Amino acid sequence: MSSQFYEFFCPVKVISGKAALEHLPWELQGLSATSPMIITDKGVHEAGLLEPVLAACRESEVEIAAIFDQVPPDSSTSVVRDITRLYREENCNAIIAVGGGSVIDTGKAVNILVSEGGDEIAQYSGAGVLKHPLRPFFVIPTTAGTGSEVTSVAVITDEKKGVKLPFTSSFLLPDAAIIDPRMTLTLPAHITAATAMDALTHATEAFTGLAKNPLSDAYATAAIRKIGQWLLPVMDHPKNEDGRLELAQASTMAGIAFSNSMVGLVHSLGHATGAVCHLPHGLCMSIYLPYVLEYNLESIREPLGELLLHLEGADIYAGTPQERRAEACIAAIRTLRDELHQRCQLPRTLKEAGKVQESHLETIARLAMDDGSILFNPREVTLEEARAVLRRAWA
Amino acid sequence: METRPFQALQLQARRTYVALMFQVMGRALQAMTEVDGDVCRDTRELPPGFLFEMRVLPSGPGLIMEHTDHGHLRFLGKSAPRPINLSIQFKHMVHAFRVVSFQEKTAVAFANERMLVDGDIGYAVRMTRVLNRLETFILPEFLAARAVKQYPADLRLAEKVQSAARIYLRVVTNFFAKASPQ
Repeated sequence: MSSQFYEFFCPVKVISGKAALEHLPWELQGLSATSPMIITDKGVHEAGLLEPVLAACRESEVEIAAIFDQVPPDSSTSVVRDITRLYREENCNAIIAVGGGSVIDTGKAVNILVSEGGDEIAQYSGAGVLKHPLRPFFVIPTTAGTGSEVTSVAVITDEKKGVKLPFTSSFLLPDAAIIDPRMTLTLPAHITAATAMDALTHATEAFTGLAKNPLSDAYATAAIRKIGQWLLPVMDHPKNEDGRLELAQASTMAGIAFSNSMVGLVHSLGHATGAVCHLPHGLCMSIYLPYVLEYNLESIREPLGELLLHLEGADIYAGTPQERRAEACIAAIRTLRDELHQRCQLPRTLKEAGKVQESHLETIARLAMDDGSILFNPREVTLEEARAVLRRAWA
Repeated sequence: METRPFQALQLQARRTYVALMFQVMGRALQAMTEVDGDVCRDTRELPPGFLFEMRVLPSGPGLIMEHTDHGHLRFLGKSAPRPINLSIQFKHMVHAFRVVSFQEKTAVAFANERMLVDGDIGYAVRMTRVLNRLETFILPEFLAARAVKQYPADLRLAEKVQSAARIYLRVVTNFFAKASPQ
């Protein structure tokens, strides 16, 4: 399974830990970012999560030039255009994205327009279109799952054409990602669970996928160890700052892993389900993960068996016969999902999720077959096999 | 720096082999869409007139296919009558050689970032699937197993031989049709 060749790239400065937010003014100053704009969403603003960011800036005499707090869950080209206009009107010279995946992707897209010029973000869609570094860009994640703070991609919906526009460039990577436990402390239980399962899926697919490599493996296993150790304690004690920080770091590590080794069929099915049924991404990951691992089992037996050590610890790993470790790893993931279902009713099947109908499965299967991540799945997936995985995940 | 004669010969041989393989693949792809229903189901989704290209950067050999209609692809050689819709590009001649000499699977070449996609990712996934199916049918099992991610366990020898014979027959016919004076 190991690659004889690989590329690994992550130039993002990660600033992580208690009082990490208070490093932001210094980082802004270092890049001559004197008039930063904050991009966020209503939920983040209403939850009071901007307050510590603004306070940290205020105390260091950094003036925030503009705040846009209306980013929707599925960001669009018109939202990007509106924010760009505000950025230009207020003469901003840097972006701080405070939020989850959609906010961070929006920040990346706005940074393209304000750096490269123009109002049509669609013209920069694709891979390798950008040729120059962009304006200073900082990310403060408020969920622990997407890993977007360390990935070089963004997806924005073109609402006129009804398609999702992908943007890929190393220039989209932020200058710094600030991981502060205060930002995830108030995350509701079901979002904590779903986003952690998203991170677990990133790490697992990175470690078992076609493009795995020694460096991404190191990040993936470290992320899995943290999630295995801290997810349930945080579910039981949501105000546990240490645990929150561990999960946030796990998410970033999983992000670094998968952005350098890609993901597989869990994501293909998840992207398709999100598009057809608007089921949240983290939830899709949580539902599909064990079923896809079972499907891939004979192609990933060795690395999956190794993951048991990181997920369950040395004692369980040592006590499990080598030939049963891969199955034990899948069983451990199933148990984790059961525990999460018990604590916050996180659905374990498509039927439990409520938004998916059995009649959707065929469309989901067909859509998944055209998803880019299917290329990196360790097994060659046929349409019939995709259907079979979906039927098992149904109920 | 001056290239040594043997090295120059080696580079030229590699270039010629890749160019020849693109010629064979182009004609075989055209034939495949004429004889294989499964491949047609994938290519039928491409818009009519859709142009697909595989080439070696910066100006190496390549192949261009046109979706005429109903899933049929036509090999156009190396020149396109209009802008390309989907381009799969090898970063270097060596990368292309590794793939077309079956030292590296197409999916692994993607994973290793030896190949770039310019265009719709969904269509690129489809075309990769088509290329994999082509390799599965026209290559002997020991070579096909090296070229594709997973050699299909349910592919019977009789079916493979029959399909391969039909594809090769059309490729040869197509070669001679192009070679004979009008």
